[in-house]
Amino acid sequence: MIESEEGVPNVLNLSEIAEREREEDERVVEIVREFGAENLIYCMQCGSCAAVCPLARVGFEWYNKKLIKALLLGMKEELLDDPTPWACVACNRCTEVCPRQVSPFEVMFAVRRMMVEEFAIPTLAIEGLRALYEYGHAVYMTGREARKKVGLPEKPPSTDSDEQALKDLKTILKNTKLAKLGLIPMND
Amino acid sequence: MSNDEKPRIGVYICHCGENIAGAVDVKAVAEFAKTLPDVVVVRDYLFMCSDPGQELIKQDIRDGLVNRVVVAACTPRTHEPIFRKACEDAGLNKYYFEMANIRDQCSWAHWHEKEKATEKAKAIVAAAVAKARLLEPLEDRYIELTKEVMVIGGGIAGIFAALDLANAGFKVHLVEKSPSIGGNMAKLDKTFPTNDCSACILTPLMVEVANHPNINLLTYSEVESVEGSVGNFKVKVRKKQTYVDWDKCTGCGACLDVCPPKARVPDEFNEGMSLRGAIYIPFPQAVPKKAVVDMDACIKCGGRDFSGKEPRLSKSGKPILAPCEKVCPTGAADRTPYRDPNGELVELNVGAIIVATGYKVMDKHHFKEFAPEHPNVITAMQMERLISATGPSEGKLIKPSEIPKLLEAKKKGEKVEVEKPHTITFISCVGSRDNRYHTYCSRVCCMYMLKQAMILKEKYPDLDIYIFFIDVRTPGKDFDEYYMRCRQLGIKIIKGRAGGIQPLPDDRLLVKGYDAEIGKPVEVVTDIAVLATAIEPNPTLKELARTLGINVGAEGFLKERHTKLYPVDTMTEGIFIAGCAQGPKDIPDSVAQAKAAAASAMSLLDPGKMTVEPLISEVNKEKCTGCGICVPLCPYGAISLVECEDGKKKSEINPALCKGCGVCTAACPSKAITLHGFTYDQVLAQIKTIARWPEIPAE
Ligand SMILES: Cc1cc2nc3c(=O)[nH]c(=O)nc-3n(C[C@H](O)[C@H](O)[C@H](O)COP(=O)(O)OP(=O)(O)OC[C@H]3O[C@@H](n4cnc5c(N)ncnc54)[C@H](O)[C@@H]3O)c2cc1C
Ligand code: SF4
Ligand code: SF4
Ligand code: SF4
Ligand code: SF4
Repeated sequence: MIESEEGVPNVLNLSEIAEREREEDERVVEIVREFGAENLIYCMQCGSCAAVCPLARVGFEWYNKKLIKALLLGMKEELLDDPTPWACVACNRCTEVCPRQVSPFEVMFAVRRMMVEEFAIPTLAIEGLRALYEYGHAVYMTGREARKKVGLPEKPPSTDSDEQALKDLKTILKNTKLAKLGLIPMND
Repeated sequence: MSNDEKPRIGVYICHCGENIAGAVDVKAVAEFAKTLPDVVVVRDYLFMCSDPGQELIKQDIRDGLVNRVVVAACTPRTHEPIFRKACEDAGLNKYYFEMANIRDQCSWAHWHEKEKATEKAKAIVAAAVAKARLLEPLEDRYIELTKEVMVIGGGIAGIFAALDLANAGFKVHLVEKSPSIGGNMAKLDKTFPTNDCSACILTPLMVEVANHPNINLLTYSEVESVEGSVGNFKVKVRKKQTYVDWDKCTGCGACLDVCPPKARVPDEFNEGMSLRGAIYIPFPQAVPKKAVVDMDACIKCGGRDFSGKEPRLSKSGKPILAPCEKVCPTGAADRTPYRDPNGELVELNVGAIIVATGYKVMDKHHFKEFAPEHPNVITAMQMERLISATGPSEGKLIKPSEIPKLLEAKKKGEKVEVEKPHTITFISCVGSRDNRYHTYCSRVCCMYMLKQAMILKEKYPDLDIYIFFIDVRTPGKDFDEYYMRCRQLGIKIIKGRAGGIQPLPDDRLLVKGYDAEIGKPVEVVTDIAVLATAIEPNPTLKELARTLGINVGAEGFLKERHTKLYPVDTMTEGIFIAGCAQGPKDIPDSVAQAKAAAASAMSLLDPGKMTVEPLISEVNKEKCTGCGICVPLCPYGAISLVECEDGKKKSEINPALCKGCGVCTAACPSKAITLHGFTYDQVLAQIKTIARWPEIPAE
């Protein structure tokens, strides 16, 4: 049998998925609802959100509509390695067009939270978290040398250069679930 | 205006918007019409049937300008009555009117041949004018109407039609073929979209029918023949032999479980999921609640049928009785008196008939791909019985394969452990939307699958429920909200009709499907698979339709006169249709149609008499030779040979039965029969005009 690329088998055995939910005594739908996607159950799979989603356009496999269906069927493990939720650019076009007010964007982010709990995070995302903790920027601008050369201060005039602000941010982050999960070093 | 006045014909040509004018050069036809003999006025108008259009005609009549009217327009089928009435309103005998069909038979048929279409329109108009010159004034006839109605079928549609008519003071004869009224609705557990209990809303209506002074309830009866026509149908109804004295039977039910095992057969009411005895009452809320003996199942205990034999005596001299006779406390199940196997023939005289014979669901055995032989593959109707409190498991959700075990234990008064299902899977459109079976959508299955799933999920939240749909169709009032409620409950909707079911060794079933939303084949291991099998016309419907002289459509359901405008009428006047006999529909729609049919019957019969067109045939006794050729030809049995004063036999036509079909007129070798409105001279004038076209015959 040809294994499909995304870790999702070619033939989905829905009963096995349901059985797993029963064994682990957790309902995937309820998990993501807890994580902020409470309107997920109103989705009728109309496809409007996928029509406007940039992820669907560039070929990500589990864009909003499809991801919602997968969750409604109780899929979780199959999706853990999938990069799609992390690619969501939070443009919220989907939120605007959804006739059932599902806020598919919230689903994307709820799935990220679910993935984090399972330590199923792409390296890139870990990098981002680390940078956030270190410098106050998830996407950190490199090139301190270049800034110096053109006569700019080495650090940009943001949290990065504001010692008190950075300290406050770190305190906040240490009080989030992030610290409990221990995904990144939070030593200082 | 006397009829010997010389004809002054007005020709009125309609554009029908673009419908006629788009292909026919109306102005050219008008110019041509002016040249025809006896034509004095020609006018054309955008819509001749509109108020101002009709006014053109009326004004010319009132002004004394014209005394014959020809309208060249759409079709007499819908518009002849309108223009006739306009003539009558303006003081002209309405049979001085003739219609030329230049739309249905000309512009529409020759849309891309403008010139030829115009030429043909001229010929049609000329022929109509030729006939109009010979028209005679006629007087309308009246027939007396019998203010009684027969309703065939005692489902929810028949029940409502009967009650509405009876409450309005009409005498109703409700003919139901099974021993009880109630129909399919009696089998349902709860009903969408409100989920009220079916029996709770149906039973009081059934009782009302039975107690209504204006309703003559004929259950276990079937229509055998129908003669006559609107206002006066003569109906013969066969009351089947019940083999139980209904005057004595109190419906106590003592006889229900006494038949020996060999005389037990699948119970229709439980869709074959349990057995009943040969003597049975169809269900606990039956109306009337009376027992009947199913002679095909009865094994004639004690060696005795119902042919009037005294029971044999045992050695001790006691009569040997059948179990049913023994237990019946009232003597209703007595086998001694002779009972005619043919039952009884009842004759009715009714003014109108409403057909509400409903439907049946397709059997699962057609669908080999869905493992129909497996006891846990059931139809949705069986699911209704499985979850109903009056069903084989008294409403407890168990695997259907466990029913025999449960019933056995119940009989012995023991308790048993039976297996309960964890997963239930529904499959849509089984036999519907399928070229191999029925092309139509059965309309109610999407909703009842959602209903059954909802009822189950609310009662047993741990159940894993899947519904495989081609697409979910919920176009009724409050229906989509209902569907959304199901989704919110966590019922798993799979977009894609399942392709097959494979029985597994552990008594479970593997359903193979495809989820178009995920884009992958999916599989479900299920305990019960429910097939939403199609709604079909009853197998006897075709025959009944033939008896009644009404039509069935390609799919076998009764055909309405017009889908949009006459949805409960048939091509036979005085016969109406309602409920699923006309096509698949839900209870709200069945009831709405039933009430519409009742109202139509009322407005037909309430005046007590009815105008009939005088366009019927008449025999000229002088010319008739009494050959009798016409008598057997008449499809309505309207002709008979009667003895005249001179002792000779002559043919006579009953005007109440004649439909004016013209068969006799054409057949009479002595030309003794005149069909009014279509006399020899009139029809020949039309034919000559067309045949000699473009020459216009002088006279
Ligand atoms: C599984 C299932 C679930 C459903 N659930 C719902 C629901 O929840 N809500 C809803 O609105 N609808 C539901 N429906 C549809 C509903 O059953 C029908 O709309 C309704 O029963 C139609 O009523 P009827 O009177 O037209 O026909 P029927 O109920 O079929 O009644 C016809 C009657 O005519 C009798 N008859 C037949 N032939 C003759 C004859 N030749 N002479 C004399 N009598 C005759 C029959 O014995 C029967 O009593 C469901 C249907 C199915 C299959
Ligand atoms: S917010 Fe995310 S899921 Fe929604 S359209 Fe934008 S990228 Fe797609
Ligand atoms: S637009 Fe809304 S309802 Fe439609 S598929 Fe997306 S989330 Fe579901
Ligand atoms: S036992 Fe007699 S009275 Fe009772 S239901 Fe049977 S036939 Fe009727
Ligand atoms: S009502 Fe639904 S299940 Fe039934 S035939 Fe129509 S689409 Fe199929």
